[in-house]
Order: sequence, then C-alpha cells, then structure tokens
Amino acid sequence: MILAVTNIDAVREAWWLYAIGAFVTLFIICGSLFFAYEAYKQSKALGMPKEQVKKAMISSISFTILPSIGIFIGVITMSGLLGIALPWIRLSVLGALHYELLAVNNAAEGITATSMTVQDFVTIAFTMTIAIIWGSLFTLFFFKSYQKKVVDKAITKKERSFGPLLFQSVFIGLVATYFGDAFSRMFGYNVKEIVDGSYTGNVIHMTSFVPLVVFVISFLSMMGFDYLVQNKKMKWLENFQLTFSMLIGMTSAVLLGMGGIY
Amino acid sequence: MNDKYRERMHKYGRIFIVLGLMVIFLAPVSMWAITGVGPNGGRLFTGVLVLSLVFLPGGLIEMMTYSPILGTSATYLAFITGNLINLKVPCVMNATEICKTKINTPENEVVGTISVAFSSITTVVIMSLGVLLLIPLRPILNSEILAPAFNWVISALFGALGYKYFKNNLKMAIVPMIFIIVLSIFIPEFVNGNVSILIPIMAVLTVGISKLMYDKKLI
Repeated sequence: MILAVTNIDAVREAWWLYAIGAFVTLFIICGSLFFAYEAYKQSKALGMPKEQVKKAMISSISFTILPSIGIFIGVITMSGLLGIALPWIRLSVLGALHYELLAVNNAAEGITATSMTVQDFVTIAFTMTIAIIWGSLFTLFFFKSYQKKVVDKAITKKERSFGPLLFQSVFIGLVATYFGDAFSRMFGYNVKEIVDGSYTGNVIHMTSFVPLVVFVISFLSMMGFDYLVQNKKMKWLENFQLTFSMLIGMTSAVLLGMGGIY
Repeated sequence: MNDKYRERMHKYGRIFIVLGLMVIFLAPVSMWAITGVGPNGGRLFTGVLVLSLVFLPGGLIEMMTYSPILGTSATYLAFITGNLINLKVPCVMNATEICKTKINTPENEVVGTISVAFSSITTVVIMSLGVLLLIPLRPILNSEILAPAFNWVISALFGALGYKYFKNNLKMAIVPMIFIIVLSIFIPEFVNGNVSILIPIMAVLTVGISKLMYDKKLI
C-alpha cells in the first residue's frame, strides 16, 4: 500500500523512520552480543582468565564513550538538513560523519533544508547507503581467503619473526598520520562551510595549534597515567587511563577556547 | 580447536554481513515504498559513482589493513557497525595492549571480538540515548564552549594511544614522524585534507622502514 507522503517534514521526522532506527539499534546489539558470547565461550575453551575478558570489555566501553558523543554530535550536525532519524540510522550502521556529509554533498548539491523535496531525501538516503557498502562486500567475499593465504603466512610462529612488528608498524603509521593531521593545522587547513547540515561550497582557510596541544597533552597525560599504573601499582587505572587522558586533552581545548584561542 | 572456531566465525560472520546489508537498505527502501517516491536515477548514479571512486578502493584497503588487527569475527562485526578507523581499530589496539595479547592468536581473536562488540553496543546505546534526550542535550552539545573538545576528539584519541606505541617502538617511529612533519610543513592542506589516503601510505612506509631495521637487526 502506498501512502503517497509528499510532505518532506512528514517524511524526515516520520515515526516509521524512528522505528527503523530502533530496529537497527536492536540488530547491532543482538549481533554484538551473539559474537561476544561466542568469544566468551571460546575464552573458556582456551583457558583464558575471566579477568582478561573483563578487562577487554571494560576498557572498550570506557574507550568508546567520548568518541561516540562526538559521533552523536554528527547526528545533530546533519539534523538541520536531514532530520534526526536518518542521520541516527546512518551513523549507527556502517557510517562515518565525513562520508555521510560527502554523500549528501554529491547527491544533493545546492539543496537546502527549505528547498528539499521528498525525492531529494530519498536520493540522499540511497546514495549514502549504496556507496558505503564496498568494505562489507570485500569482507563478505574475500576476507576468508585473504586471512588464510596472506595473513596467516605473514605471521609465522618462528622465534624471531617480523610478523608482530608488521602490525606494530601499521599502528605507528596510523598514529603518525594523525599526528600529522594535528601538526599540519598550525600551517593551514580548509574548512568546508556547513549550513543546515550540508556543505555550502564555501571553503574557509584557517590555522590552529589547538589540535597539536590536545595531541601532546593527551600523550603526556597517558605517560603520567602509565607511570601510575606501572610504578605506583594503581592497576584499577589501566582500563580508564586512555579515557582520562583524552578528557584532559579535550579539556585543554575547551580552556584554550575560553581564552579565545580556537 | 582455533581453526574450527575460526571456520564457525567465518560462517556466522558472513550471515551477519548479509543480514546487516539488508538492514542497511531498510531505511531507503522503506522511504521509497511508503512515500511512493523513488530516487532520482541520474543523481543517484553520479553520486554513487563519484563516491565509489574513493570508497571502493578504500574499502579493499581497509579490509586488507585492518582485518588482521581486528581478528575474524571482529572484522565482520566492524564492517557492519562502521566507524572503523576513528573508533573500532584504535579500540581493539587499546584492548590488545591492555590484555597483552598478540595479533592473529586465538586469545586475540577473543579480545578483539569482545572489544568491537562492546564498543558497538556502547555507540548505539549512546546514540539512542542522545536521540531520546535530544531536546535537553542539543544546547549542551552544540554549546560554543564544548565545541573545541569534540572538534579535536580524534587528536586526543591518537595522542593518548600514540604514547603506548611510541614507548614500545621508539626506533620504528623516528623516520615516519620526521617524514610526516616535513610533509605537514610543506603541504599542510594535503596532509589534513587526505588523512584516509595518507594512512595506508604511512603504514606501508613504516612497515618498509621497520623491515629494513629488522633485517639489519636494529630492532
């Protein structure tokens, strides 16, 4: 049955979109709990201490809180153009803010919250959904054979092997890139202007040393917490040291902002 | 025993991906079905084509780079729940470090899965709470005072995480750090505007330098 809803506001904030959002949330929770339970059973079969599993769980929950608030701010950012339900769905499943904004920009260039039609909205939703699925498709079709043919062979169990260092190197490359992201902003970066949740096409050139300060303070805070965990035997801190270090780094950005430095 | 576990996780993981893809399409397909208005074919084709130029090779590189770090079932979970590089991968890196497990071992399969599972649950719970409490939360989260904190949340995340990796592998970090600093000084907008392109480049560079140092027994 087609209800022929043509009012964009009625579609953007439709109850059934929120119901889909709730269903997506439930799906993610059920899937995650299923795999977590399988992993827990496997930990028992391997004779792993319960404490280790608990550590992985608590540290991951505490680690995720701050970035998730950041992701939710993405929902608010996009809500001006797309309402709340669609950004909530998109950022809950296989989404990332920079990607979603790019998708909006490509599918609906020049469209504003007031000029948007139902067709624009549907086009944006399809574009966002289709173009992000490549990683999942590669995982679905190629991950198993890639793991067997490449990963297992790269990581041998020899006494002296490059395997473990290979992934340490990938991590270091990753961290170095994000250091570059923070450091380079002292010399210049471009901000695409966002109005009502979509790019306007205007680019603003800016400089800022705040991200570098945040990076360095978080780094030093982690050093301090690590000292407390290792040398002062404050083991309880171990699961929270990353979150606390991030909070201190982020607080430094707030304090600089209060002093007029952004 | 681990092989059997992995086989089972590949089976469940593939089922989860197929179900996940169906769930992802639920929103746009329902919109079409309920409103009776389909997407604009031309704009949809162009939009998907342009985005796929970046995200198709990106998807392959992400699968190849991050799946060994995540482990079997965590890879399937992460490739449906998303936010890989800004959340799931560093989250597993942190859990692996705290639990002192080694990549591609049965123990790390467990740690990686627990980590991605609870990270995914935390994210969707926070998002749902945010939607439920949107009216009281919007002014707080949109406040000018808090904006800088969340603008630079990724710098805070990788600054804190960076210490752990630089502490244990200082020699391996020297060349990539010098390289990225020089690049940042000369082409800053390229560095901060192309992080997702730079990550695999930096990863390959660091692996190459580390291999050289390893062969020369410097590490």
